[in-house]
Amino acid sequence: MNIPRRFGQVSALCALLLMSGGAIALSQEAAAPKSAAEVVKTHAYVSLDPVPRGKEFQAAIVVDIANGYHMNSHKPLDSYLIPTTLTPQLPGGITLADTEYPTGHNEKFPFSPDKPLNVYTKSVTFRLKLSAEASASLGATTIPVVLRYQACNNSACLPPVKVPVSVQLQVVAAGATSKAMHPEIFSASSSR
Amino acid sequence: MNRVARTLLPAVVLLVVATGFLGCKGVVSKGGSGQPATLANEPDVKFTDLQGNNVALASMKGKVVLVNFWATWCEPCRGEIPILIGMQNQYASKGFTTLGVAMDEEGKKVVDPFVQTEQFNVSGHPTTMNYPIVLGSDDIATQFGGLLGMPTSYLISRDGKIAKKYVGALVESQVVKDVESQL
Repeated sequence: MNIPRRFGQVSALCALLLMSGGAIALSQEAAAPKSAAEVVKTHAYVSLDPVPRGKEFQAAIVVDIANGYHMNSHKPLDSYLIPTTLTPQLPGGITLADTEYPTGHNEKFPFSPDKPLNVYTKSVTFRLKLSAEASASLGATTIPVVLRYQACNNSACLPPVKVPVSVQLQVVAAGATSKAMHPEIFSASSSR
Repeated sequence: MNRVARTLLPAVVLLVVATGFLGCKGVVSKGGSGQPATLANEPDVKFTDLQGNNVALASMKGKVVLVNFWATWCEPCRGEIPILIGMQNQYASKGFTTLGVAMDEEGKKVVDPFVQTEQFNVSGHPTTMNYPIVLGSDDIATQFGGLLGMPTSYLISRDGKIAKKYVGALVESQVVKDVESQL
């Protein structure tokens, strides 16, 4: 019997089996719900850089939702469901004209086969229509925004959470040169 | 034993041991239910019901209890309420009860009207929730090992052992079978 060769064969098989065991463990992890904060990734964009005093501009919050999960839209079909909301905490001299929430889409789920829910899935973009007033502080400015949502997958729901998002911009003097940014998000035809 | 069998034997033994270990470790199994390897004692928790009374889980010893963590905003939780009403109708006289633990942050203010007024279709009949409802909290959930999602349910045997944990919406045929096995 070739002992070293047999030892090598057994070692290789053991390694393979341990790897397959790891795969089983990972698949069990994947089956468990994520934590609520892990379900989304947020990105903030500003339509102008810099933002001159006296100008209107927009901020966009793009929310990427984990595969297999959905969150209620801003206008869910039932009053007991928790809507997705954005709450900006505006610094002095920055004013909010409107918050645009995209319309969700109706979808049926295994736990609600007869009644569709109005939800966001995959990626959704919210827009804040803002103005920099003459009193806005010059220089780097942060607009803290709180995103509140409640997400579910096909069998379980996660508790509602509030996720902080920071919108960063530069405020400059009125009449200063400014450049339009992120046309893929802010052009009239782009709405996700 | 031929040479191939001798070569494979240690690997097969290792696979069996490793699988057993993973099976014991996994709390959540595919399909949303899992059975602990050894039955843990129910936590020593006290709830508050919608009338403001204290309800100790230990006071239910002698009954089979399905502790069901839910919330009014949780659509899968709503989806399984008709199953829970039906089981209460069928098995309460045999020593079973569901205990609904509402996890709404707003507490009684939102839970009470929901329990009093929401109607669920049970075998074609509109029915309100017919099993005890208490108010939950993060501390209570932590005593059960923490909740990742809702609904999450625990089947507790007559002698106060956690017999099974269900994460996600209940599958009626499975939970009925499990409850019957405890009665």
